[in-house]
Amino acid sequence: MLREYGGKPLVEWLVWLLGAVIFLVGLVFVAGGAELALLGGSLYYLLCGPVLLASGLCMLMGRLQGALLYLAALAYTWVWSVWEVGFSPIDLLPRAFGPTLLGLPVLFSIPVLRRMAARRAIGGTC
Amino acid sequence: MRRYRFLAMGMGAAWLCLPVSSYAQFAAAGSGGPPGASIPGPGRADEPAEQAPADPGYFAGPSPYAPQAPGVNAANLPDIGSVAADSLPAMLPQAGADPAPGDWATYGRDDAQTRYSPLAQITPENVSHLQVAFTYHTGSYPRPGQTNKWAAETTPIKVGDGLYMCSAQNDIMKLDPATGKEIWRRNLGEKYEAIPYTAACKGVTYFTSSQVPQGQPCHNRILEGTLDMRLVAVDAATGEFCPGFGHDGQVNLMQGMGESVPGFVAMTVPPTVVNGVVVVNHQVLDGQRRWAPSGVVRGYDAESGRFVWAWDVKRPDDHDQPTGNRHYSRGTPNSWAAMTGDDALGLVYVPTGNSAGDYFSGYRSAAENAVSTSIVALDVKTGSPRWVFQTVHKDVWDYDMGSQVTMMDMPGTDGQTVPAIIVPTKRGQTFVLDRRTGQSILPVEERPAPAGNVAGDTRAPTQPWSVGMPSLHMPDLREQDMWGVSPIDQLYCRIKFRRAHYVGEFTPPSLDRPWIMYPGNNGGSDWGSMAYDPQTGILIANWNASPMYAQLITRNKADALNLMPIDDPHYHPGAGAAEGNGPMEGTPYAITIAPFWDPFTRMLCHKPPYGMITAIDMKHDQKVLWQHPLGTARANGPWGLPTGLPWEIGTPNNGGAVVTAGGLVFIGAATDNLIRAIDERTGKVLWSHVLPGGGQANPMTYEVNGRQYVAIMAGGHHFMMTPVTDELVVFALPQAAR
Repeated sequence: MLREYGGKPLVEWLVWLLGAVIFLVGLVFVAGGAELALLGGSLYYLLCGPVLLASGLCMLMGRLQGALLYLAALAYTWVWSVWEVGFSPIDLLPRAFGPTLLGLPVLFSIPVLRRMAARRAIGGTC
Repeated sequence: MRRYRFLAMGMGAAWLCLPVSSYAQFAAAGSGGPPGASIPGPGRADEPAEQAPADPGYFAGPSPYAPQAPGVNAANLPDIGSVAADSLPAMLPQAGADPAPGDWATYGRDDAQTRYSPLAQITPENVSHLQVAFTYHTGSYPRPGQTNKWAAETTPIKVGDGLYMCSAQNDIMKLDPATGKEIWRRNLGEKYEAIPYTAACKGVTYFTSSQVPQGQPCHNRILEGTLDMRLVAVDAATGEFCPGFGHDGQVNLMQGMGESVPGFVAMTVPPTVVNGVVVVNHQVLDGQRRWAPSGVVRGYDAESGRFVWAWDVKRPDDHDQPTGNRHYSRGTPNSWAAMTGDDALGLVYVPTGNSAGDYFSGYRSAAENAVSTSIVALDVKTGSPRWVFQTVHKDVWDYDMGSQVTMMDMPGTDGQTVPAIIVPTKRGQTFVLDRRTGQSILPVEERPAPAGNVAGDTRAPTQPWSVGMPSLHMPDLREQDMWGVSPIDQLYCRIKFRRAHYVGEFTPPSLDRPWIMYPGNNGGSDWGSMAYDPQTGILIANWNASPMYAQLITRNKADALNLMPIDDPHYHPGAGAAEGNGPMEGTPYAITIAPFWDPFTRMLCHKPPYGMITAIDMKHDQKVLWQHPLGTARANGPWGLPTGLPWEIGTPNNGGAVVTAGGLVFIGAATDNLIRAIDERTGKVLWSHVLPGGGQANPMTYEVNGRQYVAIMAGGHHFMMTPVTDELVVFALPQAAR
């Protein structure tokens, strides 16, 4: 059994941290993406940012939708990256590598979020 | 010259580490304001009169007519007299005219400056056995308390029984070429304050006198130009000063230069001897003031050190030394690159830079505009230009000419060859000229260029493009070329890109927004120059793709930033007024300039490669034989961290190549601190070796006692952030592999 801090298992704290990171990235995407769009640049960041914000918020609240939204944003990121630069590794690196790497802990968070949802369903605390 | 590196590979988890605050690094857009009353008008293009009223404010610099302070004449030498060019004795054939096969007699090995050696002991088959034969320490490196301004950039020469070189602070030495043992050393006592932007000594010059008989001291001499503006001659056999040259072996090159301070002007290249005239040029620190010291080019008698002529752009008909209170015209284009001498035509090919106040051209005279950023062929009898070929018209991008030109015989249409020079540029446009006339042999197109963005400073309507040579230049930047280790720094760079004016290579300077200069002043070919193999006709060129991000700022803003010229009593080096941000005092604006990079990760904003090497077949329609990125990611990475990766991503590079009859190209240059041997035919890297410091110097090769050596100064470069050392590293094959 995992150790608990403040009544919350460690993995749930990690999921909370993951949610916070995704939320902050979403904030940067929205703010920077808005300026980039105003300057006539790519709309990707402005479109992706709100999804990341929602993903982060949901994950902070322990909702499974948080992980699913992130995976949706990741899929969108890949589609956009390949559309913009094709399959050139050096060009995909700044676009898709980091988000994909972050996708791994998001995948691992799914069972945890499921468990949290189940606990809520039987009236446990969040 | 200014250069940097930073770069390379995004290593994964970086994305998680980036604080959101990196976004906050943007400054507010749209700084600056209308130029107002300071718009240049007619008459402002002239040098101020001698009695120009002094502006008494805190930020006012000295009058350009103030007399030269004591100490600027570093060795306190008396003035030198003049001698008529007609009375110079005929020059003996020099070592560089037809070097012995085992010699490397001039900076670029021979008078043609080919950087080609006929040595063939080291071949693609045995090069992997190369070992360090010896190392030598010059003793010049930053001491505690000194700012690191070092980049030795030294290439030794080898003539007969000696390997002659200089330290970064101009001490001269003769080494035993087989062992590296110091035979003599001439210390010049140069002061730290004399170091300009960079402590560099690219090399020394070997000269054989026709007046001193063989066997007597100073029959063979080593000539050197110094950072503190001396022209020095010492005996090649003993290192003793030549008593018959100047004042006991030294000439004060600050004579006639007027007011200056140590470090404002400096000589970093070996002087060039043409038909008995030793020609000297010097760098003038960029971006300081419109009326910076003169960029005058001068000729002295290689026998006596006496003055022969001056080429002062604004005094085209006066080739004498200024007398009394007069001085050489200030603010004129300077020439800091190595020159090439042509004894047969009696010419010296001078690569010129820009007028002072580099990024504002409104006050430049027509005479300056005619010769800036050009190759100027000066007649060494008179000091007058015989022809001028301009590579950028009215340059405000600091595309000053960094490369030494190489002489070659260009195959002509009728089977004849044309005496030619190859002219590399920072633009990556390489021109091939008939050196008798300055006419281009290959087609050159004048293409329309954008109009200016600043009131009172119009741009040239067209710029020249060498369409007959492969372009050593990447395509223009696009937003999707922005790069980074994560989407966040890519977003930062996309915004930075979109905030700037950018309409291609000749985007004019602007006050309202930043502008992007690409290739920029670190781009294309620099002082490493090119190597040409006359046997195969293969031209080896290494080059850079590293944009700059700049903005003109108003005088008020410059004052707020404490930007002051180096000769101002309140100048403080920490304010960054050397080669980066510059006050451009005497013009309406100052300049802020930095690499187009993400200052948080210290990586360039656009995707690699940032450095390339190209082989061009000059005998067959200038076809590219091979081309690939130069420099691995092993010593580079985000936050300056070495990644250790052998991936050849192409780093910024400085320093040129050597090509040998053995079919090898030797080059350091890149920021991965490697020297490598490349197959001349295929471009394949066959061997590399980790140097103790950055290999930002031209290597050279020579033979002694039947053994071929390859030498490179691993001096590093402060701006490229490679490790600075004082170590010369010399390689050779072990007995068994020869």
